[in-house]
Amino acid sequence: MLVKVRAFAGFREILGKELELDAREGSTVADLLGELASSNSRFKESAFDSSGRLQDYVLLMVNKKRIDPLQDLSLVMHQGDELAIFPPVAGG
Amino acid sequence: MIEITRQDFSLDEMVKRAKRVDAGAVVTFLGTVRDDGIKAMELEAFQEAALPELESIRCEAMSRFDLKSVEIVHRIGLLSVGDNIVAIVCSAGHRDEAFLGCRYIIEELKKRMPIWKKEIGENGERWVGRE
Repeated sequence: MLVKVRAFAGFREILGKELELDAREGSTVADLLGELASSNSRFKESAFDSSGRLQDYVLLMVNKKRIDPLQDLSLVMHQGDELAIFPPVAGG
Repeated sequence: MIEITRQDFSLDEMVKRAKRVDAGAVVTFLGTVRDDGIKAMELEAFQEAALPELESIRCEAMSRFDLKSVEIVHRIGLLSVGDNIVAIVCSAGHRDEAFLGCRYIIEELKKRMPIWKKEIGENGERWVGRE
């Protein structure tokens, strides 16, 4: 299945603005982040700590709704879903 | 009106749009690029998520503080020191509600709106608020 990944701010500079991942059916948010980390060492170093845990400054949206990176990494993604990855917001 | 734009805006025009015959107070907030030793600032938004968030904040403020109207404009793109970043204009029957509503909107916007700032200086660039 194809899942769209959009990245913003510092993560856009590492991953690009938008990419499509061809993920296996049943992939979770954690699976997608793992795939991105395994194909992009800069993303791995930036988004994960040395024990492989997602850094707390990595924020996520699925289909433009915020998800909790502590609780929702097991959320199953579906064909056409969109995962957005970004650091803490800083508007105003 | 709510807008995310690359263009500069007119606070006067926003005030004109916000005025109501039943509003005795119009409070404005204008955020500008501060000279912290930077040359420029780049702002980036997740527009499709930012506009609904901004609309939610506007609705919350209108009902909580009995505002008559709310105008919000946030800029994106490359800005220089002194440039306008964000403007909020709230009208209400009385000044207390207008001040409280305006304060609520800027504080919530800073916490919730998916917009990011990169400071560009002589010695490099830095995304604001990452750590």
